[in-house]
Amino acid sequence: MSSDTEGPATTPPVLSLRGIRKLFGGVVALADFSLDLHAGEIVALVGDNGAGKSTLVKIISGVYPPSAGQMLIDGQDTRFADPSQAQASGIQVVFQDLALAERQPVYMNLFLGREAVTGPWRRLDRRRMIRESEALIQGLDIRIPSARATIRELSGGQRQGVAIARATHFAAKLVLMDEPTAALGVAETMKVESIIRSLRERHLAVLLISHSLDQVFRLADRICVLRRGVQVDVRPTSRTSSNEIVAMITGVA
Amino acid sequence: MTSPATARVVASIALLTAILLPAMPSHAGTTTGPHGEQAVPAASLTLTPEEEAQIRAGKHTAALAWHTPSDYTAAVDRGAHDEFARLGIEVVAVTDAGFDAAKQKSDVETIMAKRPSILLSLPVDPDTAPEVYKPALEAGTKVAFVDNAPTGFVQGTDYVTIVSDDLFQMGEKAADAMANAIGGKGEIGYLFHDANFYVTNQRDGAFKATIEAKYPDIKIVAEQGLADPAHAEEIIHAFMTKHPDLAAVYVTWAEPAEFVLAALRNGGNSETKIVTLDLSEPLALDMVQGGNVAAIVADEAYAIGATLARAAAASLLDKTLEPFYAVNALAVTKDTIKEGWFQSLHRDPPATLTGG
Amino acid sequence: MAGRLASQLSAVRAVDPSRYVVYVGFVLILVGFSIALKDDGFLTVRNLLNIVQQTTPITVMAIGMVFVLTAGEIDLSIGSIVAISALLAAMVLRQYGWPLGAAAGLAAGVAIGAINGGLVAYLRLPSFLVTLATMGLLAGVARWLTDLQSVPITNDLFNALFGAGKLFGVPSLVLWTLATVALGHFVFQETRYGAHVHAIGDSAPSARAVGIKVDRVRFSVMALSGLCAGLAGILYAGRLHGARYTLGETDLLTVIAAVIVGGTRLNGGIGSVMGALIGSLLMGLLNNGLILMGLSVSEQLMVRGLIILAAITLTLRETAR
Repeated sequence: MSSDTEGPATTPPVLSLRGIRKLFGGVVALADFSLDLHAGEIVALVGDNGAGKSTLVKIISGVYPPSAGQMLIDGQDTRFADPSQAQASGIQVVFQDLALAERQPVYMNLFLGREAVTGPWRRLDRRRMIRESEALIQGLDIRIPSARATIRELSGGQRQGVAIARATHFAAKLVLMDEPTAALGVAETMKVESIIRSLRERHLAVLLISHSLDQVFRLADRICVLRRGVQVDVRPTSRTSSNEIVAMITGVA
Repeated sequence: MTSPATARVVASIALLTAILLPAMPSHAGTTTGPHGEQAVPAASLTLTPEEEAQIRAGKHTAALAWHTPSDYTAAVDRGAHDEFARLGIEVVAVTDAGFDAAKQKSDVETIMAKRPSILLSLPVDPDTAPEVYKPALEAGTKVAFVDNAPTGFVQGTDYVTIVSDDLFQMGEKAADAMANAIGGKGEIGYLFHDANFYVTNQRDGAFKATIEAKYPDIKIVAEQGLADPAHAEEIIHAFMTKHPDLAAVYVTWAEPAEFVLAALRNGGNSETKIVTLDLSEPLALDMVQGGNVAAIVADEAYAIGATLARAAAASLLDKTLEPFYAVNALAVTKDTIKEGWFQSLHRDPPATLTGG
Repeated sequence: MAGRLASQLSAVRAVDPSRYVVYVGFVLILVGFSIALKDDGFLTVRNLLNIVQQTTPITVMAIGMVFVLTAGEIDLSIGSIVAISALLAAMVLRQYGWPLGAAAGLAAGVAIGAINGGLVAYLRLPSFLVTLATMGLLAGVARWLTDLQSVPITNDLFNALFGAGKLFGVPSLVLWTLATVALGHFVFQETRYGAHVHAIGDSAPSARAVGIKVDRVRFSVMALSGLCAGLAGILYAGRLHGARYTLGETDLLTVIAAVIVGGTRLNGGIGSVMGALIGSLLMGLLNNGLILMGLSVSEQLMVRGLIILAAITLTLRETAR
């Protein structure tokens, strides 16, 4: 595990943010944010509501363009015009609201926006999507009645599982997770955490937003603290404590 | 309440514009059909007991394909039903197109599944109507029309006859009723329908011509056309401002007349009389209570249906028929409200009008 | 063995029963009329073909409406588009021949649909209000175009192709129904585009988050609905051998009823082209059967209203589970 501040120098970071700023009108939502994310690393992003975490996720996933700053993917300078370009670069997001289509079946949600097609008429390849969905679901050990079930028939944990399964399946490099366990019970939370750990084994980079410091300390290699749009610090988990992080979040030393 | 001809006014917009010009000379003194046919009184069409027996023995069937629901259609429909019942002809289907020419075509197609001997109809749109009635013609069904016939159809071969109102007579009776209400002399206002529309144009023209020819002591001093009934109120204000002693005002049909009545009432005017056409409950109520309304001229809509049914039945015996029959008009006044209402619509007037 | 059975059962449960209400209802009503009207010419090939032909324009509009409603939008302007398309086709046809006439009608439909779509997708206006406004505007345009005059069509080829003609003994309107339903069903169920239409009506933010071009899909469904209404206008013109400003005026509610009875949801995400076809045929079947039963006009309206109400209640109750 890379628990150093910087990863191995041989390969460039999966994602490198340099001096990212975001202004909404005249308001500074994010000021001068810099962070390197390496393959196989989980970095937690913590901060109070309105600290700028969601803004950062939306910039990385291509929803907002940054007002200033540089974004490098595998060392290459990159700009996303829309979310589909970020996805094409191997970045996947598990949104807080999950971004699922409730009345569609599980398999269509897993392939939403990337539906498999077959034949000269480019028909939807439902059979293949169902087959792959079932394999994916089993691989992650999520219990879902059927890949044909609609999302609204599922529990909160199952829905979370579908969203995570989708992100991890299509992520080539980086998974952003915005509060992935906020709505879940204890057992479901444990399951999701084990899925997140498995991403590290698959050598993906993970940027995890969470309000639960316990969870952050259980999962993250490094912790990045934001307060009112300002990056306070990035600390390796092993060299900090819960109290120190809380102090940085609240600004009360 | 929708007055019978208001619906028809709207109904015939297309019907009329196309065919009107030949029908316009009616101002000269008689009603003509949509193709300039001379009107023959509907009462002249009769069947002998032998003919009736022959029709009854034929076990014929009939279908009715109307254009839109209204008091007028309902009265025509009742007239046709009653006459068919009298002649032992079973009515097997009734449809209503709601002003939709495409729906009327579907209706006729559907009706033809029952292969009726007779089809009575009012075409929504004469220009596209040939396609509508084609299945009936092909099946040899006798078709007879209210008010108008499909463009290009030939009476006697394609259809039996047309039955309609005597529009000239309606205008004429309105003039007589007005003269009667104001004692044959005075200054009057004339509010006509300012649109190229054969029903109202003929009625308005007949009113004016009759006043001018028959009542030299009555002067039309205020004259204004209207297109939108709601403007009637402004027009009557202008009339009364210029001519405060106006004895009476003619209003082209019932809906604007209701606005005129409201304006006169609001101005505290109980002297100026109103004469209009087409039965309307609010106007009739004012008339019964001795208000401004002096007379309402109505058509015998029920008789249109009965005549049409009789004509179609007669055609089954290959009887020669006139191309255009017109039913009588009647002026309904305070004293004749009950009989008049029944004669026109074959229905008792609303209870409010008979003190019930 | 047991596991396999369980998975089959769960697959059965995943099927939405509301989709089948309309088929069952259709068959019941068909059988009912066949028995009640067995001596009244109902169950003749000619009468049944009549029903399909009479409902072809409704079916074509219903296909467009399935896409629009499933995408979470609505198009109230289809009736007015019908009149404009029919009138334009009839007018252009007189001078430039039937292919350009038909093309003008279709182009008018697409253009109006594109205007609706542009306002909805790019100016972010609610489709209900946009199409409510265009409905009124276009009704005025239709009246103004020919000053309320009907425009007859005397071109036999046009009238045969879009009206009473036959190909290999099959009425051309029946072929139009088959072709448009097959194409509509394929695009709706079997293509990525159809999947995106479902997704944006289900949850536009989710669709956008996974990279679906939500605005483009919204724009396209409105344009598609315009195209369908344009085709419906041409079909009416072919059927009546002429065009008139009132064509289509009363069709909006029939189309919506057909689509909803067919299992499409008013609030998006769920729809069915086949259901809409059956819904549309059901409307035609009711018109036909109730007339042949010899009911008065008032009775026809009441019975039809009650049956549609019952069908919608059953459909929506099932979906609300």
